This record gives sequence, structure tokens and C-alpha cells, in this order.
Amino acid sequence: MSGVADSRWVAPGGLVAAAEAALAAGFFFESMTCVDRLDPHGVFELIYTFNRWDEPARFALRLWAPKDEALPTLSGVYGIAAWNEREAWEFYGLRFAGHPNLTWLLLPEDTEFHPLLKSFTAPPPSIYDDSMNPSAPADHGGAHDHAHG
Amino acid sequence: MTTPTADLLDTYTLNMGPQHPSTHGVLRLKLTLQGERIMGVEPMIGYSHRAHEKMAENRTYAQFLPNTSRQDYLSGLIYNVAWVEAVEKLAGIAVPERALVARVILSEFNRISSHLLWMGAFLMDLGAATPFLYAFDDREAILFLLESVTGSRLTYATARFGGLSRDLDADFPRRAREVLARLKGRWQEFEDLIEDNVIFRQRTQGVGVFTLDQCRAWGVTGPPLRASGVPYDIRKAEPYGAYPRYEFAIPTRPEGDVFARYMVRVAEMQQSVRIIEQALDGLPEGPVLTEGSIGVKKRLKPPVGTLYYAVESARGAYGIILVSEGGTEPYRAKFRTPSYANLGVMYDALPGTMVADAVAVLGSVDLVMPEVDR
Repeated sequence: MSGVADSRWVAPGGLVAAAEAALAAGFFFESMTCVDRLDPHGVFELIYTFNRWDEPARFALRLWAPKDEALPTLSGVYGIAAWNEREAWEFYGLRFAGHPNLTWLLLPEDTEFHPLLKSFTAPPPSIYDDSMNPSAPADHGGAHDHAHG
Repeated sequence: MTTPTADLLDTYTLNMGPQHPSTHGVLRLKLTLQGERIMGVEPMIGYSHRAHEKMAENRTYAQFLPNTSRQDYLSGLIYNVAWVEAVEKLAGIAVPERALVARVILSEFNRISSHLLWMGAFLMDLGAATPFLYAFDDREAILFLLESVTGSRLTYATARFGGLSRDLDADFPRRAREVLARLKGRWQEFEDLIEDNVIFRQRTQGVGVFTLDQCRAWGVTGPPLRASGVPYDIRKAEPYGAYPRYEFAIPTRPEGDVFARYMVRVAEMQQSVRIIEQALDGLPEGPVLTEGSIGVKKRLKPPVGTLYYAVESARGAYGIILVSEGGTEPYRAKFRTPSYANLGVMYDALPGTMVADAVAVLGSVDLVMPEVDR
């Protein structure tokens, strides 16, 4: 991985201990990226990066996350991890065991799909927007009010 | 700071936003209050989510260029340049000297314009209407200058893989120096008008202190971190582009409060002026786009790989995590935006303060909500 000083692969079970060690060494939580590797590997790739202010050196923790297994949460170690994990949940469907509030962060609170999955391609027809649905009757002014009651 | 405990019956909930003038964009803060004192805070975000990360996977590297400056519309040029430089690094594209220097000049002008807008809007939140007019007057001069090169006022898409789309014209250095001279005449006026104002000082000094532990846990960067005494700036920590060849200081303040964040930004504008002056003095001649480079019209296919590219935006450390599978579109693009972390710290920083102070603290971190929501 380019742009990082050091990169290590960890097993999901070793993630919390690794983050605690990073915090103790003075690293701050920089970013968390989830990559869809379901096709062909059947897993998600997670890249956490940490950095420090005094001797800047980006450190990446990488792991393979099995599709249907909950990962440990880092929100007890780094506060901002809670938001990053909520994003991974809403965009990819990843679950985090022990997360205090695993709910929608950026998406509307009734979204039933995970839009950053590679298998997700087109937005589903919206009840608010007939333009996505070719079978809906054409909108002729007043008809719109009728359709949505 | 520890959250004060409160009897649940004594508290009530107040929604600040999403349409509140001091949230600067659509942000909703769910405040738990006891009288006027904040006991708990829950920022509700996502109102301006536009799925930039999904869009990046569905278009070519060049087609994504206009999206970049729409993440942070106040320092969009810096984001535009960051995307281009990340792709150049991934694909190994050379950039002519003149383009590297011109990118620094334009980026630093953009940083000053962003800080000026923040200054006016922040002081307006605190009830001072006059500085807003001064700040916007100067900002207008910068936008006029940037428009003459890029064609846009806010949503710039002027950088290209291998350089810039348009060259700085022959008259540009003269106009740029005029703007710089005007700015340099302003610092003393700002000092007299704002810093020495007793109301401003009482509303900002000792208010909303960010401790280093908080900054570490939430990933705070940029002026809020430097106002807590840490000289961390990507331009020095991970020098990129033409920055290593210029002399400039990283202004810091030890206090960590709202006043310190104001002072740091004012000092940063002066450093940006210093950088631009050096860059104008040493502006090389030559082309601004590499001959025969992979421009926008060609299909660009960077090799397989993962890259982290960081720049210092006006708000802090901006990171692009780019995953290429060798195709014409990015396999994954993740944007680490500074305001996201600088807003997260509110969970720890706001409890214990008063509602009126929350306005000052929120304003002092310079949030841009489309950047938080992406």
C-alpha cells in the first residue's frame, strides 16, 4: 500500500488490542475504509489508518472481514470509530459487536439497501420520484397529488 | 471533560438545526439541556449526503474531477488538486514545474478566501456584523483573481492529470501581488477591530477547550489541533507538490480555546501570503500540461494498487484512499474529510458549556457540512 509508512494485517480478534497499542503509542485515528471483495474472495477488506503528530508516520491496520461475522468495535478506544463503523454498516452491511448505536449515519433512517456494495447498481424506484419508474403514469400536473394522496 | 450527571427529570431536549443560522449548512444537534447548560450532544448528519464515494466508482478518474470541489465548496481548489495529485501518484504521471508552482499559488489563495469567509461568518455568529463586510470584500478580490484563471468562483475543476487546464496569463503575477498588498494592509485593521474587542475576548477565551486526548480520540486536525498547541500540518509532515521549496511557519497557540482557533487562522492567512510571494518570485516558465500526457480525453488506467494521499485543506488533514483494480474507474475511493473528525469531537467538547457558547465553539471549528456528509 502506497502512502503509508507501515502496514500490518491483523485477524479480527486482534483488532482491539492493536488499536489500544496504537493509542498508547500516541497515534490518532485517521480513517477507516471498507472495500467490497465479496466477488471473488467472499470477504470485505478493511483498512484502518492511524497517524501521529510528533513523528508523522502513517500506520495501516488491514484485515479481511468475513461476510456474516460481526467485527469487534473500536468505539471504546477511539471515539470517531463509532461514526466510521456506522458508515460501514449502512453502506456495506457490516456489523460491529458491542457498538453503542449501530444505526444510519448519512443515509435516511429507513434505507433498506447497502449502496456501496458492488452488487448494488441502480437505486430502487422511490415513492417520491416517479421518474425512476417507467411503469408509473406520466405526471400531468394535478395527477401527482392524486397519486400520492 | 467529563459529562456532568443530571437527574433525567430536570433535563429537556433541544434540536439546534437543521436550519439554524449558526450551523452553516444542514446540521442538527440534539442537545440535552439542564437550564441553559448542555449535558449531552448528538450531532445528526447526512442531510447533504450525495454519495460521492459511490459516484467515484461509476465514472472515470477524469469524469470525477467536478465532484472533488463539491465536497468542500470553500476550499474546493485544494480538493481538486488533491484528487489530481493522488491519481498522478497512482498512475505515475509527471507534472511540469510551472503547474506545480501554480497549483500552490491557487491553493493558497483558496485557503485565504476560505479563512476569510469563516472569519466573517464566525464573527457574525457572535453578533459582530462589521468584520463580515471587510472579510467578504477581501474574499471577493481573491475570487475575482481565481475566476480569471479557472473560470469558476467556488466549484473549481481546473487541475488536470499532468498539470493544469489553463495557464496563468502574463498579467497574473501583477494582479496577484495587488491582492496580496491589499491583504497585508488588512491585518492591522483586523487586529484593532476584532482581537482587541472586549466582548469578543470574553465570549471566546477559555471557551470550548479541546484537550490533546480529545484530539487524539476523535482525529482532530487542522487549525483546531494547532490551536491546542500541536504544530501538525500535512504541508510539513508529508510535504507534497512544490511546498518543500517554500519557507513558512506553522502557527500554533497553547490555549486550545475558541480564541486560539481564531488567532491561528489569522496567522495562517499571513503565512499563506508568504508562500504565494515566494512562489510568484520563483514562478518557472514553460508549459502547464505535460506534452502528450494522459489528459482528460484519453482513457486513463492506473495500475492495480492502493494509495493513501494526504493534503492540508483549509480545515485540516484531507485524505484520499484510492483502490485501483487496473480499470478506467476507481474500484474504491474513500475521502477522509477533516470536518468529519472536527465535528465528532463535539461529543466531548460541548457537554458542560452553555447554549450560547455552543454557537461559538461550533463556529470556531469551521465546519463545512457537504464535506462531512460527502
